[in-house]
Amino acid sequence: MMQHRMLAKEDEVSAAGEENEVRREDQEKINRFSRLHQRETLLEEQLKAKQKDKEDLEEISMELELADEDELVPYKIGDSFFQLPLADAQSLLSSSTEQIDSEVSGLEEKLSDLRDELQQLKVALYARFGRSINLEV
Amino acid sequence: MADKKTPTINPETNPRGIPVAPFVDNVTDYVSTRADVEPTLRSFQEMISKYQFMEVNTQRRAAGLREKIPDIKKTLEMVKFLKMRRDNNADPLETNFELNDTLYARATVDPADTEEVYLWLGANVMLAYPIGEAETMLTEKLSTAELSLANCDEDLEFLREQITTMEVATARVYNWDVVQRRKDKADGKGDEDDDTAKGPSGA
Repeated sequence: MMQHRMLAKEDEVSAAGEENEVRREDQEKINRFSRLHQRETLLEEQLKAKQKDKEDLEEISMELELADEDELVPYKIGDSFFQLPLADAQSLLSSSTEQIDSEVSGLEEKLSDLRDELQQLKVALYARFGRSINLEV
Repeated sequence: MADKKTPTINPETNPRGIPVAPFVDNVTDYVSTRADVEPTLRSFQEMISKYQFMEVNTQRRAAGLREKIPDIKKTLEMVKFLKMRRDNNADPLETNFELNDTLYARATVDPADTEEVYLWLGANVMLAYPIGEAETMLTEKLSTAELSLANCDEDLEFLREQITTMEVATARVYNWDVVQRRKDKADGKGDEDDDTAKGPSGA
């Protein structure tokens, strides 16, 4: 998880220098950064899974446009398939799609706020510690 | 792990009783001579290990919940669907239900017969619930599970912060040692230690 790198000789001098003493506020920024970074990873995972679900739902909606209206559609609820008339299946599908759409946009919003804050922290921390801190993954 | 903490000893904890890592204001408060360095680093490492232990446990708990929640959701979805059908006095439903992995059988479900549903409670117990009660219970279970998951995630973030604090402290003590070693060397009484700065080991 954490990578170590050797400091180059010239960076090392400033790393040990007095002016780079870690103050409590710096520690708080570093902590905030690592907290948000961890959260980012988690949200990214969730977003990926949701986006896949969303794509699947969209694909099915397209497929169903072409389905025969007189035939029943096996629609999956829980672990079972129900033979439903096309209209019913479509209305269930559209409510699922709506839900996932709002979930996806909610996650995207959270992620973008989070990335903004991460960026600000990065700027602040690099300004203070220069090359003696490494905030890249 | 939350309830055995005595508040008098550890005033600063998160809501689940995980203690806050101490912040090292001044490295020299912790180490005054080079002889202090090693025991200090060791005690920091020990704290990191404790936090990491909690982290692993919490991660496991969160993973379990992440698995459980979709299951509850699926069941709830089905109960809601049956209830909706029942309320609308819909026609009997043709279903393909899972008999076993990859094996589906056909069944006709008459909404009139879904007055009760059977919920698997675990521990080899299955209980019949009126459909309305089943819905209430599942909704409750779902929100409890979601709350515990949110707590787990919060704890994980908190633990990450504490580990980070200790890692920063470790690096600072280590760097202090490097500087001390150089000074000693410059004073002519330096030992022949390798004086290359490197990251804290084993973090």
